[in-house]
Amino acid sequence: MPFLSRHPLESKVDSGSSIRAVDHLEIPRSVEIVTVLSRQTDNATVIAGFAPAGDLVMRNVAPGEWLVLSHTDLPDSLQRRLAGLLTDIADVVDQSEGRVLLRLSGPNARRILAKGVAIDLDPSAFAVGQSANLRCGHVAVNFARSGENEFELVVFRSFTESLFEDLLVMGREFDLSYGFSSGLADPV
Amino acid sequence: MASLIHCPHCGVRPKEEFTVRGDASVVRPDPEASDEAWHEYVHIRANPRGRTREHWQHVFGCRRFLVVERDTVTHEVYGVSDGSDVARGGGR
Ligand SMILES: [Zn+2]
Repeated sequence: MPFLSRHPLESKVDSGSSIRAVDHLEIPRSVEIVTVLSRQTDNATVIAGFAPAGDLVMRNVAPGEWLVLSHTDLPDSLQRRLAGLLTDIADVVDQSEGRVLLRLSGPNARRILAKGVAIDLDPSAFAVGQSANLRCGHVAVNFARSGENEFELVVFRSFTESLFEDLLVMGREFDLSYGFSSGLADPV
Repeated sequence: MASLIHCPHCGVRPKEEFTVRGDASVVRPDPEASDEAWHEYVHIRANPRGRTREHWQHVFGCRRFLVVERDTVTHEVYGVSDGSDVARGGGR
């Protein structure tokens, strides 16, 4: 019998907001996430090794360390694919059960996030595609700008509920709505 | 305390993202050095007024150990470098 994991926001989010507002917190349900670790000096080799992978999203964590995200890979296949591409260059470890992705978008996304993160969110200072680890409220997250007004946060699974609640409070003045990407949650 | 630290890997960040790990100017003695030298290295610290070198870890960011040179009076930060670069350059 396959192991079925429960999303940490399952009971919290339920079916989500009844109306989708312009500012929305989306929770993609199944995202494959791996960490890639190499020696600092192999930075360029790792990035080159990624080229054939195509559709993957690479997020900066530190020199020689990345998070790689895939919305299309099946469980374990991302880890196997990358381990194959990066043999002898980097270590690839599956984190899909340990990290959770949240996506905040909308015209007020910057104003909402500015309450929790202490970096300059102007596109000239933090451009589309840029990513880094930082502190949001009291939680460490990997933070990326996935669009002009769209940001993605990857958080440790056990901190998800806390971060989620913080984001809702931060977004309350803009009626921030939320929900799983797939719409209705699976029956509990 | 210096409020903004320019992490060489992550950019400008508030001090709340870091943990100060202590004096970066002490030099580890030779294993065969005297007890006095080791006692001095492990326990004895100055509390300087002015320019200091400290290890700061960017725990909420890249998690790298950094060497921060700052002034305890004016809060001015003179420079931040990656700890491994400093160690390789023999500046430990
Ligand atoms: Zn950093």
